[in-house]
Amino acid sequence: MRHALHAEWTKLRTAPGTALLLAASVLLTVGASALTAAIVKCPGSCTADTTKLSLTGVMLGQATVATLAVLAMSSEYGTGMIRVTLAAMPRRPTLLAAKAAVVTGAVLVAGAVAVGASLLAGRLLEPGNGFTARHGFVALSLAHGPTLRAAAGSVLYLALIALLSLGVATALRDSAVAITVVLGLLYILPVLGTAILSPQWQHHIERWAPANAGLAVQATRNLGTLPIGPWAGLAVLTAWTAAALLAGGLLLRLRDA
Amino acid sequence: MTATMTPYRSGQQAGHDGFAQVLWAEWTKFRTMRGWVVAMLAAAIATALAPIALASIATSNDPMTCVHGTCQVESSNVATGPDGEAVTDSFYFVHQPLAGNGSLTASISSLHGTGPLAYLPGGVPKHHLPGLPQPATQPWAKAGILIKAGTRPGSPYAAIMLTAGHGVRMQYDFTHDIAGPPAVPSATAPRWLRLARSGDTVTGYFSADGRHWGTVATVHLTGLPTTAQAGLFVASPDYLFETQGFGGGDQGVDNPTQATAVFRQVSKRGDWPAGASAGAWTGGQAGFAQRSPDKISRTCNGVACGSLAQQPGHFRQSGGTFTVAGSGDIAPFVQVVDPLQVTFYGTLFGAIAVIALGAVFITGEYRRGMIRTTLAASPRRGRVLAAKAIVIGLVTFAAGLAGAAIAFPIAVRKLHDLSWKPPVWPVWSLTSQVGVRMVLGTAALLAVTALLALAAGTILRRSAGAITAVIGLVIVPLVLAVVLPTAPADWLLRYTPAAAFSLQTSTQRYPQVTTGCIPYHGCYPLAPWTGFAVMCAWAVLALAVAAVLLRRRDA
Repeated sequence: MRHALHAEWTKLRTAPGTALLLAASVLLTVGASALTAAIVKCPGSCTADTTKLSLTGVMLGQATVATLAVLAMSSEYGTGMIRVTLAAMPRRPTLLAAKAAVVTGAVLVAGAVAVGASLLAGRLLEPGNGFTARHGFVALSLAHGPTLRAAAGSVLYLALIALLSLGVATALRDSAVAITVVLGLLYILPVLGTAILSPQWQHHIERWAPANAGLAVQATRNLGTLPIGPWAGLAVLTAWTAAALLAGGLLLRLRDA
Repeated sequence: MTATMTPYRSGQQAGHDGFAQVLWAEWTKFRTMRGWVVAMLAAAIATALAPIALASIATSNDPMTCVHGTCQVESSNVATGPDGEAVTDSFYFVHQPLAGNGSLTASISSLHGTGPLAYLPGGVPKHHLPGLPQPATQPWAKAGILIKAGTRPGSPYAAIMLTAGHGVRMQYDFTHDIAGPPAVPSATAPRWLRLARSGDTVTGYFSADGRHWGTVATVHLTGLPTTAQAGLFVASPDYLFETQGFGGGDQGVDNPTQATAVFRQVSKRGDWPAGASAGAWTGGQAGFAQRSPDKISRTCNGVACGSLAQQPGHFRQSGGTFTVAGSGDIAPFVQVVDPLQVTFYGTLFGAIAVIALGAVFITGEYRRGMIRTTLAASPRRGRVLAAKAIVIGLVTFAAGLAGAAIAFPIAVRKLHDLSWKPPVWPVWSLTSQVGVRMVLGTAALLAVTALLALAAGTILRRSAGAITAVIGLVIVPLVLAVVLPTAPADWLLRYTPAAAFSLQTSTQRYPQVTTGCIPYHGCYPLAPWTGFAVMCAWAVLALAVAAVLLRRRDA
């Protein structure tokens, strides 16, 4: 396993896109979060959840995280490298585990940086926009339990999105098809979740779609009115991820490369 | 002895090196790649089936037309206009019968609104509606002279009027609005209006001094009986304020307002009633006698937040001077929720397939090294890109057209079955203006999205990066537009390629009706084809960058 990890780490480290995509994830997350924090004002949105507000960028940053994770697997199929990899490491579950570990590690680090910087931006910008003690807001701080949960949960969310993407890519092998499926899941379902003219289906999407459920972990106010609780939502995303990895792992084991 | 070396020449004729050949080559590539053809079919099938599926579960329409927390009107308040459209027809009317031809003249010396009759009745925390502007007079408060087939809601009419913020207008049959000169009434300088009927023709005149008259418009009304009701009217539309907060959801108020106008020097000419009944004016709420029910229940942020009592209109006559107070409106009815547009969000599934297809149409060549063969065979690279653009554009247009043409009529029928019924929700046919725009628009939208993806693929040369970038530009703004507050959401739907999705709206909007337009309700800030132009501008720019980079870089 150690050799597999080392090999996967070397591949990930030396692939040209990795650094770029990780940097893009951090920039998109922090940029979009800071921009949102800068334009949402009280009065205007005094009911806003300031923690969730300052983590808006995660919704954008997840796209590049997904791309990174998809490429970690599918680019091997694209270049034929997968045959060399499997010749060197014939135990396929180990290979998938090693890939999952290094991708998760990289995303956890980038995610922690992105989420930390987003919260910091929120802490600096939001009081200037009227989210002050006078309106019942305190400055964002990780010492505040729900905010800590939202921050840690957002980092975990990004890691789970990466693993989900890796699983889908392992099952589908082609990078274009895999990224299309993953981004479709992450972006089209939320559009339908807000627009769909059926309260029942709206409820279903909010509870069971991976992005909707997973991002429930960012909520810190009115938890009672959420369609799904913060940790339960993350658990739903974990189930999606587990299913994708399982399907990917099985297909990797059963199929010729 | 010298031998002559003859260089080898192929016996085959040299092929033509024209654009047609490049085009044909690209078409052959597309046609013979199974994955690409499958993606095209998937796009067509998703475009056809997803809207149908969404239409068949669109159950959240109830008789109160409360959708997504917005109870816009009680359905009984919507009448059917002369052309079958939904109209608002409830205003204060001081009238008497006009049995034939004649005219009515009056000067208006004041028009004042009393603003929202009530503001935030019990139970609504004030911070739910922050920064709520409270204009005392609605810009579309109206006072003037009106002739109407009868007081039945939705009956034909024509009117010349003074508005509080939009000058003199001639309006008829609800949907038609003709602007006259800008004018505001004042006690020192009253403004004069005259409405004259001659058969089916009604003419509106305006004068600033009561001596020099100008024609505002002459209109032809169908269905105006010999004896029509004519007189003075005052209307003041509901005060609407809508906004979306962070995290989605809508907030808004819909408050009845009232306006009061003073008419002087009212004079009749023509076939007005003579004798004992002469000069007997009847006042009352025309159209819907009472804006039913007499208490309007309201919703704020998805929860009921009290009700507002209606304030009845009234009039007072003293000689030739009339003081008339009224509320309501006589105008087209604009619905907030657009079920067809929501249904057509299903075409996003087609869009995502088209994005993948457009990107791999070029990145596939880079991955396999085929691009070197392609460029060796056709060294003029701009031509190659143009040929690719034409082929992928036409193919995705065809897929979108087929899908949308199947989806539209079926979705329309399913919505009708789920009680999304006229007049508020018309049953559009495929050949109606809305049907043609939505179907052609969807096809065009998908084709231009494919071109954006082709350009991104040429620029980035990697399928994953290109697909992510285009989804980020086209689809992610739609997600963010429903989550962010109104201002940034509005910005996103104006300047990103997502503006083009306004092609899929079926709601008719009128400048003479103030409506809440927030992205949460699928309302786009730009008109349909303007939004599409924004997307085209993005595509042209991206293709230009792609062409330059393709020529500059080694393949």
